Amino acid sequence: MALWGMVIDLDRCTGCQACVMACKAENNVPAVGAKEAARGRIISWMQVLTEEDEEHPGEKMRFLPRPCLQCDDPPCTKVCPVYATYRNPEGIVAQIYARCIGCRFCMAACPYNAKYFNWHRYQKDAPGQNPDVSIRPKGVVEKCTFCHHRLQKARDRALAEKRELLPGEYMPACAEACPARAIVFGDLSDPGSEVARLARSPRAFRLQEELGTKPKVVYLTEGEGRG
Amino acid sequence: MAERTDNLDAPLLAPIERTGPGFYWSVGALSVLVLWGAVAYWSQFSEGLGVTGLHQPVSWGFYVTNFVFFIGISHAGTLISAILRLSKAEWRRPITRMAEVITVMVLFIGAGQILVDLGRPDRMLNVIRYGRYQSPLLWDATSISAYLTASIVYLYLPMIPDIAILRDRLAKRKLLYTVLALGWTGSERQQRVLNRAIAIMAVLVIPIAVSVHTVVSFVFSMTLQPMWHSTIFGPYFVVGAIFSGIAALIVAMIAFRRAYRLQGYLKPIHFRYLGQLLLVMSLLWFYFTFAEYLTGYYGSEPEEMKVFWAKFSGPFWPLFWGMALTNFVIPVLTLARLGRHTVGKVLIASLSVLVGMWLERFIIVVPTLSNPRLPFGEGIYGPTWVEWGEMAGSFALFALFYLLFTKLFPVISIWEIREGRDVGLREVEERLLTYLPETGEPPVATTERGH
Amino acid sequence: MSEARPVPDRTVRIIQWAMAGVAVLFIGGIITWISHLIRTAWRLKDVPSASIGISLVAIPVFLILLSVILYVFWGLLGDGDGREQSPPRPAARAGGDPHGEAG
Repeated sequence: MALWGMVIDLDRCTGCQACVMACKAENNVPAVGAKEAARGRIISWMQVLTEEDEEHPGEKMRFLPRPCLQCDDPPCTKVCPVYATYRNPEGIVAQIYARCIGCRFCMAACPYNAKYFNWHRYQKDAPGQNPDVSIRPKGVVEKCTFCHHRLQKARDRALAEKRELLPGEYMPACAEACPARAIVFGDLSDPGSEVARLARSPRAFRLQEELGTKPKVVYLTEGEGRG
Repeated sequence: MAERTDNLDAPLLAPIERTGPGFYWSVGALSVLVLWGAVAYWSQFSEGLGVTGLHQPVSWGFYVTNFVFFIGISHAGTLISAILRLSKAEWRRPITRMAEVITVMVLFIGAGQILVDLGRPDRMLNVIRYGRYQSPLLWDATSISAYLTASIVYLYLPMIPDIAILRDRLAKRKLLYTVLALGWTGSERQQRVLNRAIAIMAVLVIPIAVSVHTVVSFVFSMTLQPMWHSTIFGPYFVVGAIFSGIAALIVAMIAFRRAYRLQGYLKPIHFRYLGQLLLVMSLLWFYFTFAEYLTGYYGSEPEEMKVFWAKFSGPFWPLFWGMALTNFVIPVLTLARLGRHTVGKVLIASLSVLVGMWLERFIIVVPTLSNPRLPFGEGIYGPTWVEWGEMAGSFALFALFYLLFTKLFPVISIWEIREGRDVGLREVEERLLTYLPETGEPPVATTERGH
Repeated sequence: MSEARPVPDRTVRIIQWAMAGVAVLFIGGIITWISHLIRTAWRLKDVPSASIGISLVAIPVFLILLSVILYVFWGLLGDGDGREQSPPRPAARAGGDPHGEAG
């Protein structure tokens, strides 16, 4: 059974946000419009957080791409009252739009603010959308799913061709789009995979690890002379 | 023996028998507010929660605050009615009915707040069909169902002898009163059954009530968020609930005392005792608040301090210090000496506490959400007309339900007042004698009390 | 007052026992619901301990509530049935004043 995880090398990240745009295009993430954006309702499954570099104030920014960290002990699934979010056996924290009642408890519980809400009906079915990803109705919570639909398609293809899933065959849109190749994706349970190897790097750290959420997105801290 | 005192308690039946213009004006005004709330909710139901001021990261605001606030007020009934009944405090007699009605009505309004807060209220049955007991929301659902059932029973049982009075005295609503009176004739056996049932309920309702506000607090304390994940929340919320419950009860008592001219029944002494209870709760509330904030401040954990300073001196400082003023300073100042102008002082203190406790709930919910751990921008929450309308409509709906209740049933328990007159004095005297050392003389009471 | 009331006694009795029936259905429904949630959690292997733990407290509480309700119905209605026409006892009986006090 695979355990899907991600390593993001912060030294390579340029803050270009290609990952953000690729994610939005791939997953039919609605553009909420300027008015809603001004009210704080942007939906961005992958979000690049910025912080001023303390050692070079006013000159440099630090970037942190933050998808859903797909925790192994997710605080969001604990509090969901209706089984609308749960952790599947391969480690992906899934979101069932059809069952979500919009109580937003998971949003309040997530320490990474990785969950987003459809405050209005932001979009209808329209041409140009990715047909593999469902359009979310109003009043439900959504979040990054590691492009789970791509996993399903890759598995189906491998099954049809009567072979195993090859490493690199399933990759979320953000990992595929990053021009600096800062995002590495794969099976953490395979000790030979690049993801597993990088996750063991001495530069590796997890966000807010002390909370015990066991996130499966591992960051590689910036290089020499950095924190 | 009871017949000759019938006319004594005529003021208690007057609101049911006659309706004045004041009633219609009140219903009209309240209905306008309820209508505002309904219009506000309709716009939310059709457009989505976007019509509120909620956003990412402050995804909980007025509705959750109101939920905690209204459920908190439900502790009025339990404290006064159950605890005072169990401790055989005679001064509870004119108060118990009003307290129990508050509990029942406010639980409906409180539960309604959560339904209003849902993004998909059309799917609310999912909680029934697919509920997960690991989620504190399910603990809420179960606990509030138990409390609602228990409160309705605990309200209804002591009403039965009064309903029998209405059945026999009034010509209108015969079917309603006859059905609800359950064939009450006042016989020995019926009295025994009723008293036993009420006693059981008085004991049962207290742990249920404590569990209700504890699990409401668990909605916050079971998350990992700074200044939410605190072990003090359970007792803190219960204390706050009892505090706001007494305040709401006092306001209701003063309102109906005025409207229905019940000055003979709700006397300054009742307000004095309640005022003293309110003072004690204010001090207790302050103690819990102080412990909570001192612990956070002393530990100086960076994430907690962000939220702490947001409340102390940041964007929320007017609400935080307003809370301290209205929950502690004003009540202590007004309630310290209740000799003169008792009712007036107690009214000011209670209104102040109601405002303060609402602010307290808000200060718990919003600043934590507004200051996320990761470097997002700080979330500013500005409620819209929809949220104000919903709040006004909720308060008005509660008041309307209450008002309609007082038109159908006596707002002061007639039979308990009569019981107080007939047997209360004797029972208290007997009890007092059992406390005192033996004198060798036969006691005034009969021999049924063993020594 | 034992004068004939305009309300037929049988109707009243039926409604009263129907109220008891509603209580049984309501509380029975809640207990059924809680068991349904336990079974679902068990089937999905989703922290069944939480469901079982809560039901150990919740179900007895609801059963006690139901018992109290039924006890009162039985105690009051059962007694009233046989004593319809007996003279009212003065102690707690709130009989109407024959002079028809209206206020």
